[in-house]
Amino acid sequence: MSQTSQEDQIADVLIIGAGASGAAVAWKLSEAGFNVVCLEQGRWVRPENYVTGDADWELRALTDWSFDPNVRQRPEDYPVNGANTPITPLMFNAVGGSTIHWTAHTPRFHPSDFRVKSLDDVAADWPLTYFDLEPFYDLNDEMMGCSGISGDPANPTRSPRQMPPLGLGEDGKKLVAGFEKLGWHWWPSDSYVNSVPYGEGRGACNYCGPNGLGCKVKAKGSTDVTYWPHAIENGVALRTRCRVTRVTVDEDGKATGADYLDRNGRLRHQAAKSVVLAANGIGTPRLMLMSKSDAHPEGLANSSGLVGKNLMFHPYAVVMGLFPESLESWKGPQGNIFMSQEFYETDQSKDFVRGYSYQIVRSSGPAWHARGGFDGPVPWGENHHDAFANRFGKAIGIAVIGEDLPEEHNTVSLDEQLVDGSDLPAPKIDYTLSTNSRRLLDDGIANAQKVLKAAGAIDVSVNPLLKAGGWHLMGTARMGTNPAESVVNEWGQAHDIDNVFIVDGSVLITGGAVNPTPTIQALALRTADYIVRERSELKSEPTQVVSE
Amino acid sequence: MSPVEGGRLTDADRTTLSTVLDRLIPAVDDLPGAGKMGLAREIETRARRNRRLRSSLTAVMDALSLDLSAHAAGGFNALDTDAQIEALEIVESSIPDQFAPFLQLVYTIYYMQDAVLKRVGWTTGAVQPAGFDVEPFDETILANARQREPFWRKTE
Ligand SMILES: Cc1cc2nc3c(=O)[nH]c(=O)nc-3n(C[C@H](O)[C@H](O)[C@H](O)COP(=O)(O)OP(=O)(O)OC[C@H]3O[C@@H](n4cnc5c(N)ncnc54)[C@H](O)[C@@H]3O)c2cc1C
Repeated sequence: MSQTSQEDQIADVLIIGAGASGAAVAWKLSEAGFNVVCLEQGRWVRPENYVTGDADWELRALTDWSFDPNVRQRPEDYPVNGANTPITPLMFNAVGGSTIHWTAHTPRFHPSDFRVKSLDDVAADWPLTYFDLEPFYDLNDEMMGCSGISGDPANPTRSPRQMPPLGLGEDGKKLVAGFEKLGWHWWPSDSYVNSVPYGEGRGACNYCGPNGLGCKVKAKGSTDVTYWPHAIENGVALRTRCRVTRVTVDEDGKATGADYLDRNGRLRHQAAKSVVLAANGIGTPRLMLMSKSDAHPEGLANSSGLVGKNLMFHPYAVVMGLFPESLESWKGPQGNIFMSQEFYETDQSKDFVRGYSYQIVRSSGPAWHARGGFDGPVPWGENHHDAFANRFGKAIGIAVIGEDLPEEHNTVSLDEQLVDGSDLPAPKIDYTLSTNSRRLLDDGIANAQKVLKAAGAIDVSVNPLLKAGGWHLMGTARMGTNPAESVVNEWGQAHDIDNVFIVDGSVLITGGAVNPTPTIQALALRTADYIVRERSELKSEPTQVVSE
Repeated sequence: MSPVEGGRLTDADRTTLSTVLDRLIPAVDDLPGAGKMGLAREIETRARRNRRLRSSLTAVMDALSLDLSAHAAGGFNALDTDAQIEALEIVESSIPDQFAPFLQLVYTIYYMQDAVLKRVGWTTGAVQPAGFDVEPFDETILANARQREPFWRKTE
């Protein structure tokens, strides 16, 4: 085995972004002996530093731990111009990417999600089926650790889950009663949250609640504690605080690596035989548009003109029920109680196509209640204390997750004025909520009100569109068989450049009506599997390099 | 000129802020209002560390002083309670985008205080390392749900 320094090493595969998808690919390729370098603009966040152990944790959620990079403004964040979207894009930039913040609610797409054109004459069919993806869903569940239980009638039969479901809590049981009264589907959520210890050094969830602020006991499967330790053990060189400025190409337009700014702000180049983009549904199109060259004048692999187009979010509405008694609804991970998919599939009698899921969500700490949670704030003044007492621990939310169909006018482009801390153009988002999405959410709201009443809620309030809900970033470099209508093929390989692959949420053709990350990661593993099987010429003699 | 420079308040502003806090979160049971509890300092300090919160505090203080200097000698503190509430309502409706984060900050600092948490029955303070007890999942609750035939839409 030869030893090389980082500078003169030509990576077999250069991965950009160390989040949900980048980590999965790094692990899978390194298992097969590929020489992998990953550049990540963020840093490691040590679980012991998560703020849930500090008295001011609820304030930190508003400031340096906000889900919104524009509020957080850490050096590793880039600003996002969100002036022209009713939904604020959210993300985290670190080893683990947005899985540091995620709530790890991990359902799968349905078979119908891959066939929306044939079934409902909208958007496009996927070039693969649910069953093509199933083995990779299973592999991802095993690596991330899935709590849940098979047998859900709303979905195809699943392999046994690694761990039993998380406890439902008093709030969960209360709402189960409502769904049962109406005869509507419910099933405990699949969650990448340990209900019992699973994985090296990873404990069981102690139901502290706000796992979106990071999990100190590593019960939540963020990829810094799941895939990354194994990938690094396999020899992947993960370099943090390295911000990629563009993907470089030769005169034939093939990728040669990437330019990046290292932690000291020096411009460097990482040479590679192939490049995998894993910078998320906003970061990847941004980087592709920043990578214009003579060979790719419209941006990397953008002959279709679709890079940055078809942005999908999953619009959310939240219906909150207030119950007369305290359910201590702050106990337990906020987003991981159970789901209902009663209204998932297209119903011809309705005025919209496709459907929605219900994700049952908890409340959080006292300040969260006062600030209003998913609703407006508790009023100030004389009535404040009574109003607070009426809400505290008594609120349960039903989040309506609607399928957001791809539309070309919903875009990520480069802002002409706004720049990040490295003077690189910030992404600009243009997004409007479609009529189909609005109708679908309204239907979801009406049915959620029924179920909350059936469960015994004494008051119900509605947030018709959650502004701070842009956590699912999808569709901006989509997959397809026709190079004129898509950016990558079914293996995530760019139509225009055979040594560039995209593995993050950008490749999703449609978004389903569920949280997308297991699907993103399963697709990423499938792409890695393809590289291992079909692109062995990329693999060189093993070398040993150092991580930072 | 703005009464708040760089997010730092003058003594007079601090007095005004304290009164504002008492109007927003009044006394309850044996607890004084948020102002008399002495939270103005902490709110000022925390706001200084975050651009958005700092500008919201500045905007609210500015709005109060501009509005009131026009028609009240002695400013906000000299008004009676009803007039103070009315002045705050005007500020809330005229600069809602700045008032909202200011109110979030006030609520957050208030609900971080031990005495307040004790009163509302939140015993833990920080949620880690103790966490909470939740009963393990009991499969018997699935008895009905399991009866249902698979109903996902078949595709081929
Ligand atoms: C608050 C919150 C809650 C969520 N909850 C859920 C949930 O319950 N279930 C679910 O399925 N999904 C959830 N998500 C979404 C989930 O986190 C994302 O779908 C997932 O992380 C996307 O994976 P990714 O690999 O595409 O991108 P990310 O995980 O975002 O990783 C991208 C990485 O690329 C890096 N990067 C970007 N640009 C560059 C560059 N130029 N140079 C170097 N590095 C770069 C970033 O720093 C980042 O670390 C949630 C997200 C948030 C924010």
